[in-house]
Amino acid sequence: MTRELTGEELAAAAERLVPGSVARTEPHCCYIKPEHLRETMTALRDDPEMDLVYLANLCGVDYWDRFEVVYHLHSFVKNQIGTYKCETHDREKPVIPSVVPVWHGAWMQEDEAYDLLGIVFEGHPNLYRIFLWDGYPGWPLRKDFLSMPGGLQPGLNEFAGVSRRGEPPVRMTE
Amino acid sequence: MSTIQGEPFIINIGPQHPSTHGVFRIKATVDGERVIDAEMVMGYLHRSMEKLAEERTYTQNIPFTDRTDYLSSMSNNLGYVLAVEKLAGIDVPDRGQAIRVIMAEFQRLASHCMAVGAFTNDTGAWQTPIMWCFREREKVLDLFEMTSGARLTCNYMRIGGVAFDLPKGFEEAARKTLAGFPQLIDELDAMLSGNEIFLARTKGVGVLTPEMATNASLTGPMLRGSGIAWDIRKADPYCGYEQYDFQIPIGYNGDSYDRFSVRLEEMRQSVKIIQQALDRLPGGPHSTQVPLALRPPKGEAYARVEGPRGELGYYLVSDEGPSPFRFHIRPPSFINLSALKEMTVGGTVADAIVVLGSIDIVVGEIDR
Repeated sequence: MTRELTGEELAAAAERLVPGSVARTEPHCCYIKPEHLRETMTALRDDPEMDLVYLANLCGVDYWDRFEVVYHLHSFVKNQIGTYKCETHDREKPVIPSVVPVWHGAWMQEDEAYDLLGIVFEGHPNLYRIFLWDGYPGWPLRKDFLSMPGGLQPGLNEFAGVSRRGEPPVRMTE
Repeated sequence: MSTIQGEPFIINIGPQHPSTHGVFRIKATVDGERVIDAEMVMGYLHRSMEKLAEERTYTQNIPFTDRTDYLSSMSNNLGYVLAVEKLAGIDVPDRGQAIRVIMAEFQRLASHCMAVGAFTNDTGAWQTPIMWCFREREKVLDLFEMTSGARLTCNYMRIGGVAFDLPKGFEEAARKTLAGFPQLIDELDAMLSGNEIFLARTKGVGVLTPEMATNASLTGPMLRGSGIAWDIRKADPYCGYEQYDFQIPIGYNGDSYDRFSVRLEEMRQSVKIIQQALDRLPGGPHSTQVPLALRPPKGEAYARVEGPRGELGYYLVSDEGPSPFRFHIRPPSFINLSALKEMTVGGTVADAIVVLGSIDIVVGEIDR
């Protein structure tokens, strides 16, 4: 079975390789400071003890007050997987350093996160809207982007009292 | 006598072209017959499923997963329900597990039939192998129709098990279908593996080193074709895969031919797994009761399965609501395209078609 590394293990490894790189630790993941992100990721990839050579998944999440980019990193030899994260609180212009120099596989996944969430990956060689067209109004996966006009939720109307539009008052874009 | 000077020329492969296996476009810059740059254009099939899924309950999202990779709907269902079960901590009865394994492996057979057939079509083995493959694939789809009522978008897996128990006469029908596969694989092997034209078209085309394959996050037959024995069914068993005896085929050169032969060998292994699963199919319930408007505890889960095209992951974030707060699919077809440029540049336009065929993309999954 693949071992899922705990937050403490991930933080200890990051701290050992690049001192001062950990922003905070959760039980199952570890947040890296944006300014140390690329350096830490390179070190984690090359370190024989962690051996996180493989970027399994990269995606962005909008939590209303912050944007997170999630990195699921994997080692073939050690058979372990770890979840690192990087966050930004700037809603107007969220910027996260790109990890394309570390993993080529991040290229298209970062393009996707930019296209759908509007997270700008600094240092990405070719950041463009990969699925939607240039000039598409808004960023579809942000929470303030309504999937239907008026905020209709056809799937949830079936269930009384489970509507989700009671969330923080951020300016909605339709 | 001066040599003729050519200018680079941009040629569009697709969006509507049989070799792109869907609505997908490669903007290739060519110098004569050589490709000097390749740019992918995608998004023609984008339906924003990840956004739509945030407005539907966990159970209502299962049909979406059918429609991402429409050639392997069972595997997609499986990946998603595993993620929800991991998030909510739901156990699945043994019979449900075994039925899932049978369905996922049948889906792999059907999907690899399509992959191998379409790939040989791209290399110029016109129509014969694909018809042979479709002959067997149809029988698998008949089994799916018998079990779930649908042939392509099965919507069969449920959170906590599967939708229905196996129908009467399934085992017999499954064994009959299974009996046709070794013959098909041998036929394909005999026709193609030593075929001089096929070898000339595929050997040394689209070579990927193991380092490149790892760094570009490639998975499935792409990664194994480059010589890395990585299969999630072995490395991180789900649904009781650790009980079955099977091997992981790998290639040595990382070219299109190796990816083809890895797929053929995987089909043999799938047949082996299904036979074992049918032999020891446990009794009991096929599913556990799960509330319709499930509210998993706050948290996140990343679950993955070895789909026919590679690592198929689902990343779910729950805020205790009735629908996922974030629903992210890690699509193998999309990420396997990362190395397309590296594999095609320097080759001819005809080789680019072969490389694309060997990746085995499904555009519904790339664009989602």
